[in-house]
Amino acid sequence: MSTTGQPREAVIEIRNLTKIYRDFWGRKKVRAVNALSLDVYKGEVFGLLGPNGSGKTTTLKMLLGLLFPTEGEIKILGQSASDVRKNERIGYLPEESYLYRFLTGEETLDFYGRLFNMTNAERKQRTEELLKLVKVDHARKRQLKEYSKGMTRRIGLAQALINHPDLVLLDEPTSGLDPLGSRDMKDLILDLKAQGKTIVMCSHLLADVQDVCDRIAILYGGELKVLGRVDELLKSQNQTQVLSDQLSPAAQAEVEAVLKKHGAKYQVDHPTANLEELFLRTVQESKDRPGRRLIADDPAVKA
Amino acid sequence: MNFDPVPFPLLQSFLLWLLVVGSATCIVLVVSLIATIATVGARGPVVFANELGAMVGDLVSLSPRRIFALAQLTFREAVRRKALMVFVVFAILFMFAGWFLSSSNLAPEFQVKVYVSFVLRAISWLILPVVLLLACWGIPEDIRLRSMHTVVTKPARRLELVIGRMLGYSFVGLTVLAVMGVVGWGWINRQLPESAKSQLICRQPIRGELTFLDREGNPTKEGINVGDIWMFHSFIEGATKARAIWTFEGVGPHVLDNEGNLLLENRFQAFRSHKGDMRRSIYFQYTFVNPETNARVPYQLKTVDEGRGRTDRINRTLLNIGESSKTDGKKYDIIDDMVSKDGRLTVEVACVDPGQYLGMARPDLFVRTADLPFYYGYFKAVACIGLMVLLVIFMGVSVSTFVKGPVATFLTFCVVIVSYGARDFMGRIVGDPIALQKAAQYSGLQEMKKLEGGGVLESIYRILWHMNPTTELPAGPSTTIMQFIDTGLVNFLWLVYRILPNFDYFSESLLYVANGFDVRFDSCVLACIMVTLAYFGPCVLLGYFALRVRELEAK
Ligand SMILES: Nc1ncnc2c1ncn2[C@@H]1O[C@H](COP(=O)(O)OP(=O)(O)OP(=O)(O)O)[C@@H](O)[C@H]1O
Ligand SMILES: [Mg+2]
Repeated sequence: MSTTGQPREAVIEIRNLTKIYRDFWGRKKVRAVNALSLDVYKGEVFGLLGPNGSGKTTTLKMLLGLLFPTEGEIKILGQSASDVRKNERIGYLPEESYLYRFLTGEETLDFYGRLFNMTNAERKQRTEELLKLVKVDHARKRQLKEYSKGMTRRIGLAQALINHPDLVLLDEPTSGLDPLGSRDMKDLILDLKAQGKTIVMCSHLLADVQDVCDRIAILYGGELKVLGRVDELLKSQNQTQVLSDQLSPAAQAEVEAVLKKHGAKYQVDHPTANLEELFLRTVQESKDRPGRRLIADDPAVKA
Repeated sequence: MNFDPVPFPLLQSFLLWLLVVGSATCIVLVVSLIATIATVGARGPVVFANELGAMVGDLVSLSPRRIFALAQLTFREAVRRKALMVFVVFAILFMFAGWFLSSSNLAPEFQVKVYVSFVLRAISWLILPVVLLLACWGIPEDIRLRSMHTVVTKPARRLELVIGRMLGYSFVGLTVLAVMGVVGWGWINRQLPESAKSQLICRQPIRGELTFLDREGNPTKEGINVGDIWMFHSFIEGATKARAIWTFEGVGPHVLDNEGNLLLENRFQAFRSHKGDMRRSIYFQYTFVNPETNARVPYQLKTVDEGRGRTDRINRTLLNIGESSKTDGKKYDIIDDMVSKDGRLTVEVACVDPGQYLGMARPDLFVRTADLPFYYGYFKAVACIGLMVLLVIFMGVSVSTFVKGPVATFLTFCVVIVSYGARDFMGRIVGDPIALQKAAQYSGLQEMKKLEGGGVLESIYRILWHMNPTTELPAGPSTTIMQFIDTGLVNFLWLVYRILPNFDYFSESLLYVANGFDVRFDSCVLACIMVTLAYFGPCVLLGYFALRVRELEAK
């Protein structure tokens, strides 16, 4: 990245990744991801955006070795995606919480803890912490089939964090959560980031993404359309907006003066609209001109 | 059918197992290598070697904690999904079964047979469908609901997943079995008519080898065939030199009962060529022979209990009552004088009544050592059912890793049914000596030959041209091709025959107790353990392989 200068350690390296879903007879059905290349660096919050069916979940599943790439290569935490040892340092929250509905909240966390070979005492302590963190402490003895959607989501998040992961993959973390829950989730993500963890998240809630993500990628039809730092993507957005606005040269000086004085405030006033606009425009342009990369900032990818 | 178990050929079976598993592994490896090269091209061998290395790595880095966690999960799932409802069916069955089974007019030993086989069969046929369904649906449902995604994205190896599942279902199956076994045992003890309870025992026979002398006193392999369809029994003619001669091994003071008697149990058949006195049984005589010194001591006359077993108690001290001229009036000790140094004892049986015949086969005379309590054999039989349950679980879990629940259930069910029903027949076609021996025994024949008449195509040809199996086929290329294909098919059948598990041993365990015998370790329990073990490794590997090469995505 141009701003920091020093080389950053890539936690995820995706090169030329393609996934074609086939049916039972091996016939091609969908090209879900197409020639995707990107890097995710240590310590950042990375947002994977795109309309429904654009290949976000498919990408995550390939990162985790649940799906095998049709082409291309993946390095995750320095290991291949099919290497199960990488999972020691990964936390994954699936799109829907795919948990065992006959287990209670407490048993669920204990079970996943055991899969990490944690000792009894460690598991007890971690379960306690996490139940409090995700605020389902009151329902710990109830089976998950009795949980509401948001409660299941919270337990799902708790299981993803059970091993103090270095890399957290969150597939639509805020879906199904109440406003308070989303707020907590955002705080949690920022908190994890402060601890130096790397986070990759898919989300449709652009406001949330804009709040927490350092960098984003926008996929459309399985192809990478936009990749870059959120602030820079939005900054250039703003400039374009201002420039295309009907400001006369005379007024411009005035506005600039005002911007100098109120710059920060001005920028936080309409950020949501901006990412949303970027998103919508990307999708629209992708529809109009298929196959074209719009914006990418990543030297590794351009190479 | 006569009950004449043969010891399990351990070494031979093991070598066969190595051959079958080894060749199957080689085939799988070669096919996967080719498939890898076909999909990734020139890098194929490297990718393949890496994968293979990773698999071996998984094999050596199993974590008991994870396996146990998965097993417990499986157990909880089964319990919370109400798999234990099977107990309700079981309870209902047993509440009313007594009505249909009570048959006090039968001989006690037959009553025991009816009750014991009912209980053991009911247990196996209730438990098998339950574990079959559980084992075949577990993993496919896990994949369909994607709950497996959350598990395999933890450090849990897919190998551990397969083993954990198997272990979990085994816990379920064995728990259910244990409860049913105890209840069944209590039920037999309560429900069996008082008169028959003395027959709730486990006899421990020492069985011997049988040869015959014909009426002139010359050795023969078989006695006379009296035209009975039950050819398994050979007959000796009364008041001639015809003898049936058993030689028992491993005889010593330990086989005597508390009062120092040698117990000989027989179940001879009588064939009367004239009516004689119907109220009086046919007489026969034992003669004890030391196979080393050839010392002979005839014993007093005994009567045949036709169609029933009877036990003759022979006092340890034999008085030589003499054989026509050779009376010496001396006393003999049945162990010290009649048993050879290496523990062999020969017993000759002669029919005394002129014109009458006695029929017998190898299992019809045995030395009966101290009886064991009934529960001893009963719970061994239950344990053998347990091993069968495990076997079905292993197969079900393994199959369910590559097909969906209904297909897995159907496939495993087919394997069980075909193994039960058609495996013996396959064995006769491919000419497996053990299968031939068993088949002979079941149909009451001395021996049975490999089925003749050629393979599928040849049979069809013969049927179409009305040729009998002994007519030579016309020489020519078509015959050669036909026979070549048939040989291929028979070889394939051989493979299938070898891959299908042998369920005979499991059902045999039940026959032992139902017939009042202890379940023998060497010919039954060991065999059950070995069969189950033989499938464990391959099933685990197959399941692991399948889970590893497939995407865990519901399709
Ligand atoms: N198991 C599957 N079999 C066949 N096609 C699939 C499968 N899973 C996903 N797809 C297809 O792959 C494409 C990408 O799907 P994916 O789930 O990755 O999208 P997504 O970006 O996560 O969408 P959403 O925002 O709705 O979660 C879609 O066209 C989808 O239909
Ligand atoms: Mg998705």
